[in-house]
Parts: sequence; C-alpha cells; structure tokens
Amino acid sequence: MSAEFEDVLLYAERPEWADVTPLPQYQGVDALAPINYSAEYQDATDYFRGIVKAGEKSPRVLALTWNIINMNPAHYSAWQYRYKTLLAMGADLEAELRLMDDFAVTNMKTYQVWHHRRLLLTALRSPAAAAAELAFTARVLAGDAKNYHTWSYRQWLLVHFNDDDEGGLWAGERAWVEELLEKDVRNNSAWHHRFLVVWASGVRRGDEDREAVGRTESAFAKDKIALAPNNPSAWNYLRGVLEHTKTPFATLTSFVELYIVSDAAEAPEVVDLDNPAPTEGAQLPCVHALEFLADVYEQEGGEQVAKAVEIWKSLANEHDTMRKKYWEYRIRDGLQGARA
Amino acid sequence: MSSSTSKLLIPLHVQYIQSLGESKDDLLYHLTAHLRMNAIYWGLTALNIMQHKDALSRTEMIDFVVSCWDDEAGAFGAHPDHDAHLHATLSAIQILIMQDALDRVDVDRVVKFILSLQQPSGVFAGDQWGEVDTRFLYCAVNALSLLGRLHELDVEKTVGYLRQCRNFDGGFGAVAGAESHAAMVFVCTAALAILDRLDEIDQETLGWWLAERQLPNGGLNGRPEKLEDVCYSFWVLSSMSILKKIRWVDADKLIGFILSAQETEHGGIADRPGDQPDVFHTHFGVAGLSLLGYPGLADLDPVYCMPAKIIERMGLRRDWEALPRKTE
Ligand SMILES: [Zn+2]
Repeated sequence: MSAEFEDVLLYAERPEWADVTPLPQYQGVDALAPINYSAEYQDATDYFRGIVKAGEKSPRVLALTWNIINMNPAHYSAWQYRYKTLLAMGADLEAELRLMDDFAVTNMKTYQVWHHRRLLLTALRSPAAAAAELAFTARVLAGDAKNYHTWSYRQWLLVHFNDDDEGGLWAGERAWVEELLEKDVRNNSAWHHRFLVVWASGVRRGDEDREAVGRTESAFAKDKIALAPNNPSAWNYLRGVLEHTKTPFATLTSFVELYIVSDAAEAPEVVDLDNPAPTEGAQLPCVHALEFLADVYEQEGGEQVAKAVEIWKSLANEHDTMRKKYWEYRIRDGLQGARA
Repeated sequence: MSSSTSKLLIPLHVQYIQSLGESKDDLLYHLTAHLRMNAIYWGLTALNIMQHKDALSRTEMIDFVVSCWDDEAGAFGAHPDHDAHLHATLSAIQILIMQDALDRVDVDRVVKFILSLQQPSGVFAGDQWGEVDTRFLYCAVNALSLLGRLHELDVEKTVGYLRQCRNFDGGFGAVAGAESHAAMVFVCTAALAILDRLDEIDQETLGWWLAERQLPNGGLNGRPEKLEDVCYSFWVLSSMSILKKIRWVDADKLIGFILSAQETEHGGIADRPGDQPDVFHTHFGVAGLSLLGYPGLADLDPVYCMPAKIIERMGLRRDWEALPRKTE
C-alpha cells in the first residue's frame, strides 16, 4: 500500500464526514465469514456502505471510492458506484481516464480497471478519445505485451468505434503489430491481433485484392518462421491464412521442405525470397514443418498417404513423443481415409 | 522433489481446505471477499472429488449461502453485503445442489435475474454494472441448466455470440475478436455442450490446439508461449474431455506436474511448484487429476465442474469421456 494513505485520518475521525452514518459490514452468521479487518479498510468500507445507502453522489464519494480502490482494486461495488457518481455529477470523463492511467498500468491484471475504461469510453462516444486509448493501451502493452485484459480492451475499442470512424482507428494496427513482432516474434497475442486486423474484421481500403493480401501475409509468416522455426504462433498464422484464402497447402511444399532436414543446409548461393531458409543454428527438423508436410501428403491422398504415415511415425516415436497418442490417432485416421 | 510428492496428499489437502475459514485476521482474506462464494464452491467440490464431502459443516455452509441472498436483485452475492453477481449465483446454486438444499432458492427470481443479464449481442453481463464476456455466458447457461430452466434461454442468440468468439486457430476468446485462451475455450466448449451445439466447434483444429498446450515438463499452458499452470489442467483437460480427445495428453507427465505443485507441509496445491497454494489451484489440480483417472478420486463432470454422480442423477450428463479410473 502506498505511503500516501499512512498518515491520513480515519473517516470516523474526520469532521467533514460526521454527517454520514457508517454501516458496518454484515456480521457473519458462522465461521465462514467473520470480520476482522485492517482498521483503515474497514473504516473506509463502512463509510462507503453508508453513502451507498444514503444514495449520495458527490465529489467526496469520488475521493472515498478512489481510496477504497487503491486499497482493494477488485472491490467492484466501489468501482460501480464511482462510475454512477461520475455520470450523476456530469464529471469530466476524460479527466477520469487520465486520473486512472497510472493506476491501470500498476493494476493491469485487474479486470475492473479495464471495464471502468470501457464504460467511460462508451459514455464518451468519442473516436478521438478512442484513438487516445489505443495509444494508452500500446503504452501498457509495451510493459507486458501479452496482458489479456489490455488486448481485449483494445480489440473492443476497435470493434466498438468501427462505424463512427470509418475504420480510421484500424489504420495503424498492422504496422504496430509488426513492431511488436519485431521485438518478440513469439508473441501469440500479436499474431492473433494481426489475423483480426487483416482477415477477421472486414476488408479495409487498399486491401480489396484478397489474393494479393494472402500472398503478402504468407510471405510475412514465412519470413518470421525463418527467424524462429519452432514458433507455433507463426505456423498457426500461416495455416490460418491458407485456410482463409482457400490456398492449397501443397503450394508451400518447397518452403516447408527446408525445415524438415536434420541439419540446416549450406546457405544457398542464390537467396530464394519465396522460400526463406531457417536461420543459422535453428533446431531442426521442425515439428510444425513435419506436421505441415504430412498434411500436404494426406490432402493429396492415394500413394502419398504412406509418406504422411512415415512422418507421423517419426513424430510419435522421435520428434514429438509427448503427443504420441495424437500422432497414432492421425496414422489410424489417415489410413482409414486412404482406404475409404 | 521429495518422494512425498509422488502421491496426492488427500488428508493434508482436506485439512488445508478446512483451515481456510480460520485465518480471517489477515487483510488478504477480506480483499478476496468478492470471491468468497466461489472459494467455498471450489473447496467443497475438491472435497467431494477427494471423497471427503463432510469435512466442512453443512449447516454453516448453507446458512452462509443463504445469507448472501440479495433480495433486491433476486440472486446471490459473493458475500453477505455484496450485490448479486452471476458468478456468485452459479457457485451458490452448485453448493446448494451438492448439499442437497436447492429448496432454499427462489428459483423463479434467480432465473429472472439471469435472463435479465443477457445483452442484445447474446453475451451475458456478470451483474447490472455490465462486465461482459463468455465466462458469464457459461455461468448463465450452466445455472439455467442446473435449475431445469434452459428452455427459457434464447439459444440462437447465445450460440450466435459464441460463434463470434471463435478464432482461426479453433479456439475461443473472452469477447468477440479476443485471442484464444484455454479458460475461454473451456467456458465456450462447455456452454455449447450444455446447449447440444458442439457442431459449432472445429473439433479437430481445437483438439490439436489443446494438445499443443502440454509443455516438456508435463504441465499445460493457456496460450502458446506462456508458462504452465496447474489450473489449466482443468481448463484444457475438461475441454479435451468434452471433445473426447483427452487421450491425446501425456497423462503420466501431467499427473507428475500437478503432484509436484503440492505444498507438502500444510497442504494445498499451487499454480506451479514452489509457489503459495490457494483453494482455486487446489480445486483445479484435484479436478484435473480426477479427469486423468487418478486412483481413489470420485469422477468429476467436466461440463458442469461438479461431481459426476450428482449431474447423472439430475439427468444432465452430456457425452464426455475421461480417462479410466486407475487402481492404486
Ligand atoms: Zn492458475
């Protein structure tokens, strides 16, 4: 708890709160819910229950709820009443956002922090405020690039203000995600966000040629795989792009074959931009590449299924023994499909 | 790790859960008041699975649950002076069913409360304040089903929202557009199982995504490139169990991981070895072990996260598959 509360009087000792009747917490009927608090927390929540009962909505309610939230960021009744008070007072909601900025950074894992902002933004109905929030969440994610609440909030902002702003909010998303992936190519949240931006939220200006977008995105994924071949997020993205654009997996065979060898091949004399080779020192063969190639063979059917089975066997017995049962299932399923 | 962690320390964990109500002096106990009802549900379910369901006083527990009734809203709060909340309401119903005391609930009012929280998009809010996500949607579907009132739900609208949360990797997120996360995969999969709509799931892709959650040390994570955590033993396994793909997991390694997260002096299970135990991870660790066929445990229903026997008796069992129970 921060030092700023240490020398503060209890509400019970403050003359300006003398008109409020504190409401002690319900005394539990049994051993499961008895009461024995820190004096400060108990005092504040007693006065909180008092003002809720009286229905008071005033600046001192904001100060009181701010105090409680600082002691217990998960106290959802305090959040809820604070929000109602802000609305009732016609308070400056953007000022509330600024007040909450540092608090949100410190308590980014608390759901209420983000929900409060969501309510404020909904009430503000301002694309400009939403744009400022995108910048704010970017700042938060710079500290913890995988925080789920922060990401969900950002995604909500983009979807919620989509129509008001003719998609303008989305304009910087792809470049920003690319920056995040530069920093950490294994950030699954960023890969997910890229899929949302490019594929799962409509077609934006400049992106109308979906085949071209598909080629760009699959090249992007291949480049990232080359940097870190055993990165499930990049492989998932690549598969997602192929499936979304109904592109046969077989079109990537020559790329994938570079990743199934036991040792990285000598650097080729001519760099093949369509098929970037694994970075030096990468751990090969890559399980995701083996799996991908087996899928290609299985899709081709007929004679090719035997090749898929060989790969699945190697995964079950050597390269991915933890998921042996899964690979055995693929073998049975693949053979059955070939017979059918 | 010492040899004492190669087995589930049932008597110690029972003691740990019993002791939880005793140390109310610390502030932490009060900071978690908003989860009190859930904590009792976690503790009681874990006790049921460990076959010690009477280790906590039934009367005291029922009295506590009843004292959390919010008469203005017509549902339960997490704590006697708290506003009604959907999550607390589900836990209250689950506790009362496990204690065979559902007659203490005004079912009509609770159903009305639950249905009032559905949003135009189909998702549910947790309370009147309006936090929305798929966790609350699951709480609503589960509670309505337990109360025998699922027919009052707008199923198409509900499933419509779940469809919006489905991602290209086969998983589900907390809200439309959000990243796949094992806990959200569980709530969405279990909700669809209760609604008999598992056809909405790309089962092969999701099954593989779930199998990929297992890490070399045997533990499961919730998203790619994240750390393993005991609670995912439930989120991931229950989903696999509902999709009948639980055999894809390396059970021995996962059992080893969960057991290694036990606190061997005072009991309880932590999120991972060496951390402080809590009732949440104790419950989900035991739940995971039950689904893995660990000897001496009762069967857990992965859809409702309650003892399977009770769900069967209520005629609510869905078509899931756990690993066969091992003998010592
Ligand atoms: Zn956990």
